[in-house]
Amino acid sequence: MHEIVLQTNSLTKQYGKFTALDNANMTVYHQDIYGLIGKNGAGKTTLMKVVTGLTEQTGGTFKLFGKSGSAAAKEKSRIGCLIENPAFFGNMTAYQNLKYYCLQKGITDLSQIDEALKLVNLTDAKNKKFRKFSLGMKQRLGIAFAILDNPDLIILDEPINGLDPIGISELRDTFRKLSQERGITLIISSHILSELYAVANRFLFIDGGKVLKEITKEELDKECSRCIVVTTDDTKKAAAALESKLNITDYKVISETEIRIYDENAKTETLNKTLFQNEINVTGIHESGVSLEEYFKQFVREA
Amino acid sequence: MLNLIKADLYRITKTKGFYLYWAIVLVTYIVNIAYKSYGGISLGAPLEYDESLQIDIGAVAMNFTFYFLNIFPVFSIICGEYSEHTIKNSISSTISKKNFFISKYIFTMGYTLFSYVFANYAYYFANRLINGEDYSSTFGEFSGAFFRQFPLMAAIVSLFIGLAFLLRKGAAFNSVTIITPIVYTSAALALYGISSTKKIAEKLLTYETSTMLSRLALDYSSNYTVKCFIISALIIILSLFIGYFSFTKRELE
Repeated sequence: MHEIVLQTNSLTKQYGKFTALDNANMTVYHQDIYGLIGKNGAGKTTLMKVVTGLTEQTGGTFKLFGKSGSAAAKEKSRIGCLIENPAFFGNMTAYQNLKYYCLQKGITDLSQIDEALKLVNLTDAKNKKFRKFSLGMKQRLGIAFAILDNPDLIILDEPINGLDPIGISELRDTFRKLSQERGITLIISSHILSELYAVANRFLFIDGGKVLKEITKEELDKECSRCIVVTTDDTKKAAAALESKLNITDYKVISETEIRIYDENAKTETLNKTLFQNEINVTGIHESGVSLEEYFKQFVREA
Repeated sequence: MLNLIKADLYRITKTKGFYLYWAIVLVTYIVNIAYKSYGGISLGAPLEYDESLQIDIGAVAMNFTFYFLNIFPVFSIICGEYSEHTIKNSISSTISKKNFFISKYIFTMGYTLFSYVFANYAYYFANRLINGEDYSSTFGEFSGAFFRQFPLMAAIVSLFIGLAFLLRKGAAFNSVTIITPIVYTSAALALYGISSTKKIAEKLLTYETSTMLSRLALDYSSNYTVKCFIISALIIILSLFIGYFSFTKRELE
C-alpha cells in the first residue's frame, strides 16, 4: 500500500451562507499525479487553499503526510505550490525572485534555481524582470517556484493556463518526470479534462463544492469505454444470468435498473435473447461509449 | 523565521523605496549641515528653543521627517507583498501565518528603526566633523535627546505595520498614514477655535506627533516624557493586536 500524502475528511469551507466546499473527502497517495476536475467555481481552488493554509476550513479535517492541525502546518516546507495566478515581484528578475524564495525556505544550494529554470525552459529569461514576462512565462516561473528544492508534494492550480501547445506538452513530460524519477506527488487542477487525462493517474470530480467521484485512470477508462447498457427491473437476476448463461464477468451494476457490460465479445442480440429466455424483463438495451467530457457532464447533471 | 528575515533583507535592496529613503535622508542632512540649520518639518507649534541649542539637537527635535520616511520601508516590506500577491507563495509552502506575521513585524521594526538610528548618528558625526564642536553637542546630550524619542518612533513604526496588515492595499496605506497627522492637527485647531472645546484642543495639540517628538528631544519634563512613553506602549500593543488578527483571521487573496 502506498503512503498517504494527503487525506481530507468532510472538509468544508463556507463563506457566509455560500458553501464553497461541502464535506469533501479525498485521498492522495505517494507518487500520484492527482487530477482535480471541475468547472470554474467548482471548489478546486478552495480545496487547495484550505490544504495549503491560505484559508481555514469551517468544518472537517485533513491530514498532510499523516499529520493534522498545527503539526501539518510544519510540513509546509515539503510542499511546492502554485495557487491561482503566479505571483512574483515585478521589479525583480526571475532569478532574483527564486533566490528570494530560496532564502525563505533555507535552500543554500542556489544551483537549484538554474536547475528549476532549465526544467521550465526559462534559462534565457533568468535575468529578465518578472513584469516583462508573458503569461506563459509567468506560468512557467510559477512552476519553477513550485519545484524548487524537490518538494514531496506539488500542488498546481490550473498550471497550463496561458501555455502554448508545445509548452503544454513539455509540461506534461515534466510532470511525469517529477513523479517517476523524483518520486514527487502532484495534485493538479484543471477544467480541461483532456489535459489532465493525459497526465494524471487518479482523478477527483468536483462540482458545486461537492466531490462527485474519486476514480483511478483505469476505472475512468473502463467507465468511458465501449459498453452495452442494459436497462431492466431486476439487475440481480440479470447479473446472475450473465455469469451463468454467458460466462460474462466483466460488467458493472450501475444502479437498480442499469447494468453495463464491458466484455468485448458480448453482443446486443445474444444478450437480449438470453435475458428474455431467462424471463428477465429488459426495457432497454443499447451500445454506449462516452467521451471524458460527456462522462463529466453526466456526473454534473446527476449531482 | 530567520530565513524569512534573511530573504527580506535581500529583497529590500531591490526596492525603489530603499534608494528613495536614503536619497532623501542624504539630501536633507547635507542641506542641514551646509546651512547649519535644524531642517525638518513640523505640524505643531514652532520649535521653542534658546540660542544655546546646538543644531544637531535641533535636528533631532525636528525628526518628524522620519514619520514620513518610515512609510517607505513598511510599504516596501509589507504592502509590496500584498500588491504583488506574493504572500500566498510564502504561506502556502514555507511558513505559517503566525510566524509570517512575527517575522515581518520583527524585520520591519528592526530594519526601520536601525535605519532611523543609523541616519541620525551618521548625521551627528558628519555634522561634528564638518561644522566642528561649536555647532555640535556632546555624544551623551545627543543620545539623550535621540533616545527619549525612540519609543515614540518605535510606536509609529509599529502602528504602520499594523495598518499595513489591516489595509493591505498600498494606496489605502499611504493615504491613511500620510493624511492622519494632518487631519489630526486640523481637527485639533478647529476645536481650538471653539471656546467650549479649547482645553480639549490644547491637550490634543500637546500630544500631536511632531510636537511630542520635539518636546521629547528638548527634555520638557519627566512627567510629559512618561506620558509619551505610556502612549507609545499602548500604540505598540494596539497595533500588534490589530495587525496580527487582521492578518491571521482573514483569507489571503
